[in-house]
This record gives sequence, structure tokens and C-alpha cells, in this order.
Amino acid sequence: MLKLIVQRLLALLPLLFIVSVLTFSFTSLLPSDPVDLIIGDTGTEEQYEIVRERLGLNEPIHLRYLQWLGRAVQGDLGSSFFNSVSVMGAVMQRLPVTLSLTAMSALIAIVIGVAAGVAAALRPRSWVDRFATIGATFGQAVPNFWFGLILVAIFAVNLRWFPATGFTPLTESPWEWLRSVILPSIALGTSSSAAIARQVRSAMVGVLQQDYIRAARAQGLSTRRIIFRHALTNALVPVVAVLSFQITVLLGGALIVEQVFAINGLGTLAIAAVRQQDIPLLQGLVLVMVGLVVLVQLATDIIYGLLNPKARPS
Amino acid sequence: MTDNPLLEITDLQVTYSGRSLFGFGGKQFHAVKGATLSIRAGETLGLVGESGSGKSSIANAVLGLVKASSGSIRFGDVELASLKTRYPPAIRSQIQAVFQDPYSSLNPSMTVEAIVTEPLRVHTSMDRAERRARAVELLKLVSLSEEHLDRHPHQFSGGQRQRIAIASALALQPKLIVLDEPVSALDVSTQNQIINLLYERRAEFGIAYLMIAHDLALVHHISDRIAVMYLGHVVEEGPSDRVYHAPAHPYTRALLDAVPLLDPQAQRQRRTARKSAPASDAPRLSVSGCPYQNRCPHVMSRCRSEMPPAYAIDGGGTASCFLHATETCDTVRTAKDKESVVS
Amino acid sequence: MTIKSDNLSGAVRHRARWRPNGAQIITGMATGFLVLLAFLAVFADWVSPYDPLRQNLMEALQGPSAAHWLGTDDLGRDVLSRLIHGCRIAAIAAAEATTIAVLLGVPIGLFIGYRGGMWDWVVMRIVEAVVSIPGIMVAIVIIAILGAGLHRAMIALGILFSTSFLRLARGVVLAEREEVYVRSARVVGASDNRILIRHIFPNIAPPLIVQVTLTVGAVLLAEAGLSFIGLGVQPPQASWGTMLNTAAAFMDFNWFLSVPPGVAIILTVLSVNLLGDVLRDSIGRGIAVAVTPDKPAQRFAPEPVAAEPVSLARRADEILRVENLQVMVPARSGGEVPVITDLSLSIARGETLGLVGESGSGKTLTGLAILGLLATGVRTTHGSIMLNGRDLRELTRHQMEQVRGNEAAMVFQDPTTSLNPAFTVGSQISEVLRMKQSLTRKQAWNRTVELIDRVGIPRPEERARAYPHELSGGMAQRVAIARALSCNPSLLIADEPTTALDVTVQQEILDLFRDLQAEFGMAILFVTHDLAVAADICDRIAVMYAGEMVEMADVDPLFAEPRHPYTSGLLSAMPHASDRMPPLPTIRGNVPRPGDWPVGCRFSDRCDYKIAACDARIPLVGTERQVRCIRACEFGMEAAS
Repeated sequence: MLKLIVQRLLALLPLLFIVSVLTFSFTSLLPSDPVDLIIGDTGTEEQYEIVRERLGLNEPIHLRYLQWLGRAVQGDLGSSFFNSVSVMGAVMQRLPVTLSLTAMSALIAIVIGVAAGVAAALRPRSWVDRFATIGATFGQAVPNFWFGLILVAIFAVNLRWFPATGFTPLTESPWEWLRSVILPSIALGTSSSAAIARQVRSAMVGVLQQDYIRAARAQGLSTRRIIFRHALTNALVPVVAVLSFQITVLLGGALIVEQVFAINGLGTLAIAAVRQQDIPLLQGLVLVMVGLVVLVQLATDIIYGLLNPKARPS
Repeated sequence: MTDNPLLEITDLQVTYSGRSLFGFGGKQFHAVKGATLSIRAGETLGLVGESGSGKSSIANAVLGLVKASSGSIRFGDVELASLKTRYPPAIRSQIQAVFQDPYSSLNPSMTVEAIVTEPLRVHTSMDRAERRARAVELLKLVSLSEEHLDRHPHQFSGGQRQRIAIASALALQPKLIVLDEPVSALDVSTQNQIINLLYERRAEFGIAYLMIAHDLALVHHISDRIAVMYLGHVVEEGPSDRVYHAPAHPYTRALLDAVPLLDPQAQRQRRTARKSAPASDAPRLSVSGCPYQNRCPHVMSRCRSEMPPAYAIDGGGTASCFLHATETCDTVRTAKDKESVVS
Repeated sequence: MTIKSDNLSGAVRHRARWRPNGAQIITGMATGFLVLLAFLAVFADWVSPYDPLRQNLMEALQGPSAAHWLGTDDLGRDVLSRLIHGCRIAAIAAAEATTIAVLLGVPIGLFIGYRGGMWDWVVMRIVEAVVSIPGIMVAIVIIAILGAGLHRAMIALGILFSTSFLRLARGVVLAEREEVYVRSARVVGASDNRILIRHIFPNIAPPLIVQVTLTVGAVLLAEAGLSFIGLGVQPPQASWGTMLNTAAAFMDFNWFLSVPPGVAIILTVLSVNLLGDVLRDSIGRGIAVAVTPDKPAQRFAPEPVAAEPVSLARRADEILRVENLQVMVPARSGGEVPVITDLSLSIARGETLGLVGESGSGKTLTGLAILGLLATGVRTTHGSIMLNGRDLRELTRHQMEQVRGNEAAMVFQDPTTSLNPAFTVGSQISEVLRMKQSLTRKQAWNRTVELIDRVGIPRPEERARAYPHELSGGMAQRVAIARALSCNPSLLIADEPTTALDVTVQQEILDLFRDLQAEFGMAILFVTHDLAVAADICDRIAVMYAGEMVEMADVDPLFAEPRHPYTSGLLSAMPHASDRMPPLPTIRGNVPRPGDWPVGCRFSDRCDYKIAACDARIPLVGTERQVRCIRACEFGMEAAS
């Protein structure tokens, strides 16, 4: 087990390295000169040089990268160009919001997706299968933010079951937290649950045709045992392999859905950062998101290893 | 037949490297550990062994599909193993192949005409009409006809697909065709049709075959000589009849004895006789000495430390087994010595 | 595997597919909708009733009316006109981004897939890095570099989605380059470029088309999302995403504003995805070609063959008696086709009956039919299957589950796939013992180790903890046998249990079957294509051809004196039957596929002894020794020599 974790962790190192290089190098691709952005049109040549020096832009690029990386590893992502707020602080303040949304929607997507996929696979071409397939096809075509708008119109504006906007931290009131994240999470999780349902169905249909399922039936094991122990264990292997991708999609989707519900998360921060060309903030956002994705990847890798003995280190 | 071999393989080694975490380095797997073989023009060499014996690796090395890690493969006057690049067209057109699985060896998106004439497009300047005419000729050679030209592979049975593969291999009139288990995926009743077809075309065009198979009896029908491989080593080699009827290496004998006889009474007798042989559960790989030592009923202390050289056998050929060691010829023979023994 | 099912697949394999007519209707509707969109996109200026940008603050935020069918927005602009002009944006967006994605992704993917090595490693690590950043964030970063706006946003999405095309192209190349036909092309001497373009590229087309449709859908959603947060299309230009942005702001005043653009997006993405699904189903591997037209029309009447009276002798101590078994499979052209007709056989305690035949003979299906393990759609239509005096066809599903494992068990052809890869081999045996024999965990485990030891596996306790992929084929088959025998069944069905193994291992497994039979006394139905194996292991042999039994006899007389021309042909075609040089004896022609069987003697097309009477149904005659040939007595003796 420990060996598995260490091995997967090592495999993720090159990924982190390349992301950091990509993230850093896009600063030099930006069309506008950050110094100009800061000092504005009225700045003098002298001011220009001072700011340039302060930002460390006179050093060679690889040195700047190493310094930046060194600070980033210590949790210092620099400070915003515009209000000098620490990037790490700004990101960390919004992170729980986006994280709540992503986690809740992932839970919804997995539970609905796996249940629907298994139900459909057990009786191909039955009404359950048709219903699930049609539902999944629709689910993948609906833009999550539009679905959010509709949910707000129905459940918040008309029925007043849930708040239409805003976010209550979990630490403040778990019940209010749940009420505030439930609509956005449904809006966000639906299309992922559709994607997961399709994957589970096709994996399950494939597994049910395998020799070992026939052999288990020949052994007279009960249908329920064959489905949930022998088939599902193997069918989840390919699903888990792409689960971290689905969660990445959810994280991205959260940035947009936040806008519908006027939730002040990483999405709002990111949009503001683009508008103002706030490089350190954008860099920090990307790095933190990749960090999250890497953690999710590590978790799914470990689950993958537990489900699939062939993937374990010998 | 000339005395100079058409294909001469000397001390061939083929090694595959596994991939490690970062894609470089990793474990090595020695598929062929020093094989020496030769085929003369128009001759058929049957190469027999079980899975993992390295027989397909030899085929792939001859075809230039894998690199030899050491040793030599001479085709006529050309040394193939040391070629840095792909085979030059002059060589390429001389060595063709038919593979085992007729369901995957034909490109599903191409028509029979495209498959059969692909070698002509690559190596000749024939125009479309000429190629089509040649394709019809080639199909006739394998008992198919013009009407089949525009169909796709999935419309044919396994035996018919193998005929198409043979037609394509014959297109350039090669000197050598490597047959990698050409009939093992076919039904018994169609196997012999393909064997007969191969035999007739050989007589007609004087092609040499390197025929890879796991079934000694099958190979025996069509081969002039047979070589038997075990765990990357050629353990026995010799004229087809001698190897089949008087196997000299204990492994060759085990291989022959393992195939049940078609006569149930004789098979019952043989079964009672063999009961004492040790099981194959023993670890197959050994660090030094004879590769067969762990399964051999005749194993001696010497087999555990020394690799037996190829000893000449009465009736032709060689066997790498100390059972055949004599005081006079207890030396490692080179390929040249072997030839002199055989001829 | 190859030997077992190939011939069947052509005529018989039934693909689970959505109702064909339903699929056509859906395809038609989706295509129609997309054509309409294209039309609106091209002729937006003529079709739309108003200028999409003309403001009229007096009529702002109105609901649907005769003048404005879909109402007006916050600036009094006509929603319908804006929606129609949005089609144009959607079309441009989808085309632009998808084209960029394909042109960028496919060539690079092809290149690194075929080249491999360093290039592949570096590019794939970069792709992994990009994919690990949420897509919308990648787009946001690229927009930060390029600036906002439709075309820039589409370049961003094109770059983003190129990773999926890159991975698709690389994946196809990696899969195809291992295919034997690519090896064939290399042997022919085709250059790398030629192999890539002529041999591999055509196989990319089908998945590529599917991926294009998926990407078009994803681009539309992403464009809408980016425009919605104000980073895509910039106001006042009308796009579905910007319209939704407006709608979101005025949700409390006029919620209907969000409906038209939302529905437009859903229907468009839905149409594109549905087309993709239909394409994925219809273009399977290779190029779709009409089913062989040259075959004669179905020659076999699909109605059941009239059951013959069973002449099979009753045996003392009979464990299994099958009478008049008929099995039907769904045909590709609709309806059903028989694969086994009128099959009767019996096995006594301690006896081994060999079921011998080539691919398509129905021998494997016979074994599966007895245990009720036929695949979905395949069904037993006639006959009785008496096991220990009970007809298995009459049992409920639950009763049948009780029978399997306890009274009858099965060993399959490929031991490496018939064991579940997710569990240790020991747990798979002890599971059966716990479920079927109600042993405790500990008892079951001890018994498991005993069984593994009994089937001749050294160090049984250690091996019990191994996973299937850690065992050799021979060892895995021993485990499968141990599992099958764990509840001491009275019938064991062995389906080609040695075909996937090397001959020296085959010999050991055959010995093991014999030893275990001597100890446990079960009846064995041994299914094989290899007559020599049958000669070694069986007491009696039934020869099957094209779904029916053509001959059955004790093993000695069958080999000494075969009576059916097919049996004798098969015997003389065995590689070690003779010692001669070619031409070797052959049976001309091919095994006919189910549905293509002659009405009379099914072997008659390939038989040298055919006479006019062979065109009528030929009955199986005899009791102890049975043969289905009207000329059996005439020629039996000479053919055996």
C-alpha cells in the first residue's frame, strides 16, 4: 500500500514540474508589459526601472523561474499586481467555496452515475436502459450554468426552498451550507453524472460478457453476488481511471456555475484576474487548481490500484 | 540446390527491454539466447517450440521487425543483423511473410486487390491495369478467383483469408517466405488445404520457407529440416525424418510424446509407460547450464553447470545434450562443422 | 479463442443496438435540425424579422407577443432575431475551434504515436499537464494572453480540445501499429509514411468522425460558458452565451429570457451528440460494407426440425441425459437461426464423453446450454436436459443456481480469462465453498488450500494468495479445475480445457482430469476440436458437424472404424495421422455457417460419397453406436483404412 502511494506520487512529479514551467512561462507570453500595467500611462522612465527591478524582471528567465518555484514551494505565490494582497491568502479565502461545490457535485455525479449505469447495463434495451440512456444523452447536452438558472427560477425564486444566491460556510452552519450548495451542485453534477453513467454502462456490459462472469455463473453463485462483487469491481476499473478527469471538469465548471449563484469563489477571482491581467494571481490560481487535481489523481490512482491487482507494484 | 545457404543465422540473440517508470531502461527479457540455423534455397526449415521458446522472435528478426542484439543474419551475401536502417528494397522484396491470425493480418479497410497488389505498388512501376492483371494471376495461384478482388477481408473465412495472405506474399516472387504459425488458427479440415497449397507453390517457384509452428507433426509433413527451440535455445536440429522419428534431445522426445496418439490403445500403453516423468512445475528458468535441466528425466550434475554444445547425431543434424557426448567429438562445433556433418 | 467462435460470428453475432428504426428517426431529426441551423446561420440577415442590434427601450423585457415571438431583452432587442444571428456565431465557433483542434492534434498525435521514444514522452507529459488544469481555466489563461473576443476564444478552445484529438490519433496509431497487418506492410517494404497514411490512417477515420461530433458539442457548451462569464463573444454581438448572460441578470423580471437560448444550445448539442452516437454504432471497425450478397438465400428453414424419436440406449448409472436439444440464436437479418438441432446424448457416472467438432459445430454451445449459461438472445427451444433425474429446463432460476456448482460445474477454454482478475485465486475457490457449502471463512480457506494441493500445484498456501495474472496458463487451469470440483459435482463440463495450453502442459492437465475422475467419480463432458485429445481422455466420442451429431461410438471402434465420411475425413486430416509428404488428405470447402446449412445431409456439399438421397433429411441410426449417414454400411470399412 505504502509502496503504491510512493510510486504514484513519484509518477506525478514530472506532471507538477511541467505545469509549473507552463504556468510560469505564460507570463512572458502576455501581450502587455506588467510594468506598464502597474505604473500606468503617467509613469516615468525612472519609475519604470524601479518597478521592473522590484518585480525581478531584469534577471534571466530561468533564475526567475527558480526563485518563483522556490517561493511557491514554501506557499508564497507572490502578491497581486494591483492591491498587493497576498495571492495565497486571496486564493485560500475562496478555496473552501469552490471546493464545497466541487465535492458535493462529484458526490452527486458518482452516486447517480454509477447507479444509473449499473441499472442500465443489467437489462440492456429494457425501459430502464432506455430511460437512463436518454437521460444521459440529455444530461450531457444541457449547459450547467443554464440548468443552474432554471433551478434558481423554480426552486429559489418560485418555491423559495433554497436561497437563490450566496454561500454559507460549513463552519458557520452545516444546514445552511447544505442549502446553499445543493442547487449549484445539482446544476454542476448532472452532466458529469450522465458521462459517468455512460461509462459505467459500457464497462459493465463489457465485463458481463467476460469468461470469468460465465465461470462464476457456472459455479452457481447468486446473481446479486456476481453483479456486485465480480462484475462491478472490474467494471469500476476503467471508470475510476477517468474519474479524476471528471472531477477536473467539475472544478472548471464550478468557476462558471458560481457566477449564476453569485457565489464568491475562485471563478470570480479568475475572471477579475483576466480582466486586469493580474499575472501572479492567475499563476497562483492555476497552481492551486493543479495541486487539487493532483491530489484527486493520487486518490483515484490508489483506488485504481486497489481495484486492479495488475496495477500494483510487484 | 546450391551449397551456400540462402539464409544463415549465427549466434543470434534477441533481447527486449521492458519499460520503466520514466520510459527508459527497465528489465530486459532475453527471447533468443544464441541461435544458429541455416536454410538453403528452395528448402523448408521447420522451427518448432512451445510458447516463450523464442521461435517467433527469430521470425521477426529475420523479417527485420525486431533488431538482433548480437549475432548475424546473412541473407545471400548481405548481413542483415548489422543493417542500421530498414532493409534495402532489393532485400525486402526477397523476404516475405505469412502470419498466424488471418483475422488481424489483413487490413480491414482495404480490398483484396489492394492487399494483394500492395507489394507491387511499393516495389514495381506497374500501372493499375497491370497490377490488377497480376492480382488475378496471384489469386488463381491460391485457388481464389477474380470475383474476389473487390471484396473486403471480413467477407472471407479463415482459410480463404490465409490464401489471400499467401497470394500477397507470392506477389514479388520472393526467395524466402517466413510462415509464422500459418495454419494454427484454422479448422483441422482446412489446415491441410493450406499446407498442400504452400507445398505446391514451393515446388513451382523454388521458394524457401522458414515455417514456425508449435506442432512437430504438422511441420514434419512439409519441412526438409527441423529445428527445435526451448527457452531461447535451439536444442536440436536435423533432417525432418530423423528429428521426427529418432529425436535425439530429451525435450524433442517429450514434445513428441506429449501429443496424444490417434490410436486409443497405443495411447493407453504410452500413458502407463510415461507416468514417472517429473512435472513441469519446476522453475523453468535456470541460471547456468542446460535450459532443460529442470524438466529433464536424464539430468546429470554436469547439465547444471555447463551449457551443452551441439553434438553431431547419427542420421544428420545436432543436439545440444550431454547424452550424445563422445570422447572424440566433445567440442563445440561451429556452423561450418555442422554443415560438413550434414552433407 | 480463435478456434471456438469465429465462424459463428459472421452469421450469428447480434449486436445490442437501439431499435434500428428508432435510430433512423433520431438520426433524421438530428440531421434536419442541424440543416435548419446551417440555413439560419447563412441567411440570418434575411430570415430574422428585426435587426438583432436595434434597441427599443420602450419595449424592453417583454414576453412573447405577435410582434416579438420570443419577446424582447433588456434593451428591447428582438430575442428571435438575436437567436437566429446566434446560430451564425455558433456555427463559426464550432467550425473554427474544431478545425484548429483537428489540424493541431491529429498530425502531432500521428507523429508521436508512430515515432514513440523521447518525442512521445515529452509531448505526452505536456498534454497530461494541460489536461490536469481544468479546461475552462486553460481557456481563461489563453484568453488572458490573446485577449477576449469570439475568434480569440475559439483559438483558445481549439488549442484546448486539440489534446483530445492528439490522444485519439496517438492511441489509434499505438493500437494499429501492433496489428499484424501493419507488420505485414512492413515486411512488404512499405515506408513509414506509406504505412501511416495508407494503412493506419483509414482506421482513424471512424473514431475521428465521432470525436469531431463530440468536440462540436463540447465547443458549443464551452463557447456559451465563456460568453456567459464575459470572456467570449463581446456585447452587443448576439451569441447564445451572451444572451444567457443578459437573461441571468434579469431572472427576477423576466425568467423567459433564459429559455430560447438555452433550448437552442441544448437542441444543437443534443443533435450533434446523437449523430455522433449513431456514427459510433454504425461505423464499427473497418469500413461498413453490405453483407455478402453472393451467399445463397437462407437454405435452412428456420422452423424447428421435427424431433426424431430418441434411439439412444439407456446406460446404467446415468448422470446426464439430453434429448432432442435445439438451440436458436438471433440472426443478423432478424429472426432466429438454429445452431444445434435434435441433439441427444447421455453420460454415466465415472464416464467421459467427448464432444468433438470444428468451429461452428455447436459443441461449445451444447455445454453452455446444459448449464443454462447461454448468452442473452440465445435460447434453448426444444428438448430435455435430465441431470440426476431432474429436467434442468423445468427448474426456476434460483433452483438452477443451486444446481450449478453443486451438481454440475464447468471448466473453460482460456484459464487466464475465466478467473476474475480482481481477486486472488484462493479467494475465488473459497468463495464458492462458503456460498455453496456454507463453510466458515476458515474452513473454506483450509479446504481451498487442500484443493489447490490436490490439483498438483506446489506451495499451495502461497499460490492461493496469488492473482490470476501471476500464474502460468497451466497453473491457472489447475486452479479453475480445483474450483469446479470444490463442491464435488456429479457432472463436469470441460470446454476445450487444454486448447490454450502448450502440448507438454496439455498432457499434464489430461492426466489430472483422469486422476480426479478416478477419485471423485464425476461424469465428464469433454468438448474439444482435437480428435487426438479425445482419443486420450474419452470413453465415448460424439462427433458434431453443423449443429447436429453425425456419429457416436466408443473410442476404440470410432478410431478403428469411423462410419461417417466426416469423421474419417477429420481423422485422416490430423497432422500426425500420416507420415507422408503433401498432398495431404483434405476435406474440400469450408464448414458452413449456421443459417447456411443444406436441408438434407449437412455434410453433403463436401462429401465424396454424395448421392441423390442425401438431399433429404438423414436420421441418426443405431443405439450403442450411432451414425447419421445413409451410406455408412457401404463405405465404413474402406474409408477407415
